[in-house]
This record gives sequence, structure tokens and C-alpha cells, in this order.
Amino acid sequence: MALLRAFCVRAAAFFLVWWVLTEGDSSGLGAGAVIVLIVAWFSCTLYPPSSHALRPVGMLVFTGYFILRSVIAGLDVVRRLLSPSLPLNPGYLRVKTSLPEGGPRWLLANTLSLMPGTLSVRLQGTSLELHCLDLDLPIDQDVRAAERKVAGVFGLGEAGTEESAS
Amino acid sequence: MTEPVILVAQVVLMVVGCLFFGVGTLGLFRFSDTLCRIHALTKIDNLGLGFIVLALLPLAPSVTAGLKVVLIWVVALAASATSAHLVARAVRSGQRADIEKGSRDG
Repeated sequence: MALLRAFCVRAAAFFLVWWVLTEGDSSGLGAGAVIVLIVAWFSCTLYPPSSHALRPVGMLVFTGYFILRSVIAGLDVVRRLLSPSLPLNPGYLRVKTSLPEGGPRWLLANTLSLMPGTLSVRLQGTSLELHCLDLDLPIDQDVRAAERKVAGVFGLGEAGTEESAS
Repeated sequence: MTEPVILVAQVVLMVVGCLFFGVGTLGLFRFSDTLCRIHALTKIDNLGLGFIVLALLPLAPSVTAGLKVVLIWVVALAASATSAHLVARAVRSGQRADIEKGSRDG
């Protein structure tokens, strides 16, 4: 049952992408439907549905947070880059995440790469190694906030992190 | 009446986006190590592309064309985050190998 549901959701999502890529051209919709069904079947075989379902509200909250933080991240790097003294204090930091394996952890790592001052370097189990532009920034706080938003996307409960310098 | 306003807004957004790309490239020269350079490229280019996408949206002839431009931004973001992570991991592995080699030699 879960497989059928995942298949339908994925097929619908792929069809939306096809519709956008062909710019709504009606002559391509028939071929698109066939290809979408094949791709959805492949996707369900290669990546079996996990227990983490996506939540629309969580996704909206995440998108808003992501855009806001992206702007802050870009302006932060521009500010550092354009100031004559080049204010940087780079270094590595290791954080622990309590997000479950798979999609949630992957999304957190990729999100942190685009957030202010952090770049995910290595993801090993629950331990995520970050490269920070400025270790004086409240990195741990930012990671926790991003983690809460990611947890919201997958409908997970409160997630906490522990920080330890490496 | 609204058309010139939109046009001016588009030009401003486009110029801002290009400026971000320019500054991001400057980061390649000003920052000294690989990882800081990646910080500059991923974050500033993300923002620059975002501004250019915003500038193009009012010109889009249809809803799907607009969505397509947004889709390009999303896919470019995923690619830039993933490639940044892969380069960072390669750099870190290289550093660790150097440290281990150094401790063996010393």
C-alpha cells in the first residue's frame, strides 16, 4: 500500500516536472505520461519509499527559512570579502545530529552548505563535520534551527544536537 | 504605467545579480584556501542566480515558463550544494592524508 502511494505521489511530481519542462505543450503530454510511469517505477525500485513522508506545511516553512537564510549567507560572505581586513576565522567543527538516516540527514547537510558561514565537509553516521568561515558565529544555534526546519519537512519531532570542537 | 516600473525593477535585479556573480568570482582571488573559496562561490552565486531568476520572472510568457526558470534555480542550488560538499570532502581527505604522512615521516 505504501509502495502504491509512493508510486502515485512520485508519478504526479515527475509529471509536474515534465509539464514544466515542456512548457505546457499539449503534444508532449502523451509521451510524457508513458515516460513518467517508467521513471516512477524505476525510482520506486531504486529508492524504496522510506517512512518519512513529506509535509506540505513543513516544506513551505522550510522554503521561507531557506530563502531568508540564503540572502543572509550571501550578504555575509560579500561583507567579509569586501572589507579590506578580510575578517575570517576559519576552522572545522563537528556537530551531532539526531535526524534519522537518509533523506533528512542529506537535506540537512546540503542546506547547511548554503547557510551563512557553514559548509558540510563529511557526514559519518550521526556526526557531521562542518567547515566554518568564522568560528565566532553561533554555529550550533544555526544548526539546531536548520535541523528543526528539516524535521518539520519530514514531520519528525524535536531534534537536538550536541556540539563538540574537533 | 506599470510597464516602465517593471522594466526598471528587472534591470535593477539583473544588475544586482550580476554584481553578486562578480563579487563571488573576486572571492576566488581574495580568499587564500580552497574551502573559503567554495564558501564564496556557493553562497554568492546562489544569491546572484536568485536575483537573475527574479528579474526574468515578469518576462515569462506563460506560467510554465516561469516555473521552469524557478526549477533551474532549484536544480542549480542542489548541484552547487552537492558539488561544494564533494570538493570539501576531497580537500579534507587530502589534508588528513598529509597529516598522517607527516606524523609517519616525522
